[in-house]
Amino acid sequence: MKHIVHFVAATSLLLVAGLVEASGNPSRGQELSSQVCASCHGVDGAMALAEEYPILAGQHRDYLVMALKAYRSGARDHAVMSSFARNLSDQDIDDLAVWFSRQDGLGELTFD
Amino acid sequence: MPIRLLALLALTLAPAMPAIAQSGDPERGEVISFTCSGCHGIPFYKNVYPSYSVPRIAGQSEGYIIAALKAYRSGARTHATMQAQANTLTDQDIADIAAYFVSLAEESE
Repeated sequence: MKHIVHFVAATSLLLVAGLVEASGNPSRGQELSSQVCASCHGVDGAMALAEEYPILAGQHRDYLVMALKAYRSGARDHAVMSSFARNLSDQDIDDLAVWFSRQDGLGELTFD
Repeated sequence: MPIRLLALLALTLAPAMPAIAQSGDPERGEVISFTCSGCHGIPFYKNVYPSYSVPRIAGQSEGYIIAALKAYRSGARTHATMQAQANTLTDQDIADIAAYFVSLAEESE
């Protein structure tokens, strides 16, 4: 019985790991971030160079994917971000999003 | 002449200055931000069509919250719900909401 529990636990972990991996490679995201994003957002996305720049660290992965694609398509109009996003592939965006989403930073807002 | 030059400079730069200098009132922000909690106060709440997680705001920079709300208001960012919300907000409302969110995040630290 104990073996079965271990087996199921291990298989589930592998499955979850596989799913996460399939939607982005964090180490490639880190590398890409250091080249493209770091000068404004910090490599881990936890710094904002200017007051109006966002913190990216800890943001939801799927939200980051949506936002980057919106900058790329022009649905979000922002001179600086659009020019960077235009050069990103879907894979680049997935890798960056999973990297930033795993860094310590933003959290859930708890309203009083 | 230098005074004229200064005045000209001030006139040129004034519109470019970010509205961040405008200080927000967190207490007023709390009153007008009650509608925000319907989506941003629920952990892992999903946007539908297309489906993605509503962004996390706790710990976000005050200036970015202001810039994002103004972008929804101007249409530089499109999102039906966020535009509908932002369209009702004045610059002061936006500053107050941002100040309130920052105060909430500081409380929970």
